[in-house]
Amino acid sequence: MTTLPVRLFSILLVLPAAIVAVDALELQQRQPAQIAAAPAARPPVAKDSVKFLVIGDSGTGDRAQIETAQQMWKAHSVFPYEFAIMLGDNMYGSERPQDYARKFEQPFKPLLDAKIEFYASLGNHDDPNQMYYKPFGMGGKRFYTYEKKDVRFFVLDSNYMDKDQQRWLEQELSQSKAKWKIAYFHHPIYSSGGRHGSEVDLRSIIEPLFIKYNLNVVFAGHEHFYERLKPQKGIHYFTAGGSAKLRAGDIIVGAMTAKGFDTDQSFMLIEIDGDTLHFQAISRRGRVVDSGTITRVTNGGTS
Amino acid sequence: MTILHSALLVLLATSVVACNKSTESKAAADTVDAQRALSANQSSPAPVPATAGTVGADGQPVNALGAAVLEFHKHLETYMKTHRAAEGKVPNLKRTDDPTEISSREKALGEMIMTLRAGAQESEIFAKEVQPYLRKIIVDDFAKRSLADRRALVHELTELPKGAATKVSVNTVYSTSLPLLTFPAALLQKLPDLPPELEYRIVGRHLILRDVKANLIVDVLRDAIPSST
Repeated sequence: MTTLPVRLFSILLVLPAAIVAVDALELQQRQPAQIAAAPAARPPVAKDSVKFLVIGDSGTGDRAQIETAQQMWKAHSVFPYEFAIMLGDNMYGSERPQDYARKFEQPFKPLLDAKIEFYASLGNHDDPNQMYYKPFGMGGKRFYTYEKKDVRFFVLDSNYMDKDQQRWLEQELSQSKAKWKIAYFHHPIYSSGGRHGSEVDLRSIIEPLFIKYNLNVVFAGHEHFYERLKPQKGIHYFTAGGSAKLRAGDIIVGAMTAKGFDTDQSFMLIEIDGDTLHFQAISRRGRVVDSGTITRVTNGGTS
Repeated sequence: MTILHSALLVLLATSVVACNKSTESKAAADTVDAQRALSANQSSPAPVPATAGTVGADGQPVNALGAAVLEFHKHLETYMKTHRAAEGKVPNLKRTDDPTEISSREKALGEMIMTLRAGAQESEIFAKEVQPYLRKIIVDDFAKRSLADRRALVHELTELPKGAATKVSVNTVYSTSLPLLTFPAALLQKLPDLPPELEYRIVGRHLILRDVKANLIVDVLRDAIPSST
């Protein structure tokens, strides 16, 4: 049996250590608690398929971007995507060298270290000189195209759809023999967003080309949420502009909306295997908020 | 709430959705019309405003639009000579892993152009002769849009982020606090072509000419964007 003064002395001795331990525990709980311990992303169906990550409106450098990027990296352990497409607004605000670090290089460091290639498009917050930044994979061009196995990607600058770009797009689409044709750019030409909505002006110029040359799928950002739209004139549209910024509650569910998610940050995982495209939309907390498949039909369209 | 009330609410909601859809379809149809008009006009750089022809140096009548556009291109070429001279004086910009190189080069080019164009005045490129045509192209484009589309566009174009530096003036850097607002694609098709080093942008209600590589405001056409109504 110990005396009261000894007990009090022991308590006083242990208390600071206990406080530190509780703080550490709380900190530990606070930080990883935001992210699910095991990612819910589903594994790919095939080994040799085309697998990529879709990021939109990510360049804030804030906690939301960092946590969403951490979730992207966790998802990679289950779904080993080989490259990432960026839907614009790669950097908000100033674009000093330290901003490149804070808004891109640091949040995506594990992906960059793993040699995952990025292919960026320009958003309305991006200085077009980003095209010279090698890690963005733009090859010094505002709009460009590249191929991964059976898939041809057309990366557009929707901020400035001038005649040169329009001519280029038509030429590239007409020449492509790829099985899958996917376009991505910043401004959605179909959207149920209350803040921006569909870019009908841009739509009037590029949609006829998409239809004429049997484009299959379009990804856009700008709206800070995830949305899958019902196919429009045979083309599948996704909006995935919530990888850091979030406009909570902005989706006005309407006739075009197939699925919307506007309560947390998100990103997408895509796999293309033969004539099937598998998609998953994942929240910052690692929850699969939408998933499904798109099947390419032989005449070039999709169903 | 009675069943009748519920039915009326459903009817009202359906009408609103249908009305929105119709507005969007109308907006799309309007822009398609504008595009068709453009296609018909491909041979000339911009629609011909309803003004009388002017008289050339040889006393022969000349197309006023043609003369104005020619003048505009002359001013553009003068600027491009300066741009090229400035590019020759700063290091080349190549693809790089180092963002410092990108921002340093952009800054150096901008400063060099500012030096070479010291004393540049507003309307040197958007010259007096061409201003009425540019304004008319913009006004006509907006007039062809539905009221809803016009309102949405003006809202999108003129609403600037809090704290953004909205003051624009010639031979100054385009503020990094200003997003590069999307240029209305159908309108862009109607404006005279620019060399790839330059682009049109809208800040507030002003049309600006921006040097892409130098991030510099080259000229300003004030209050070119109509109000929404």
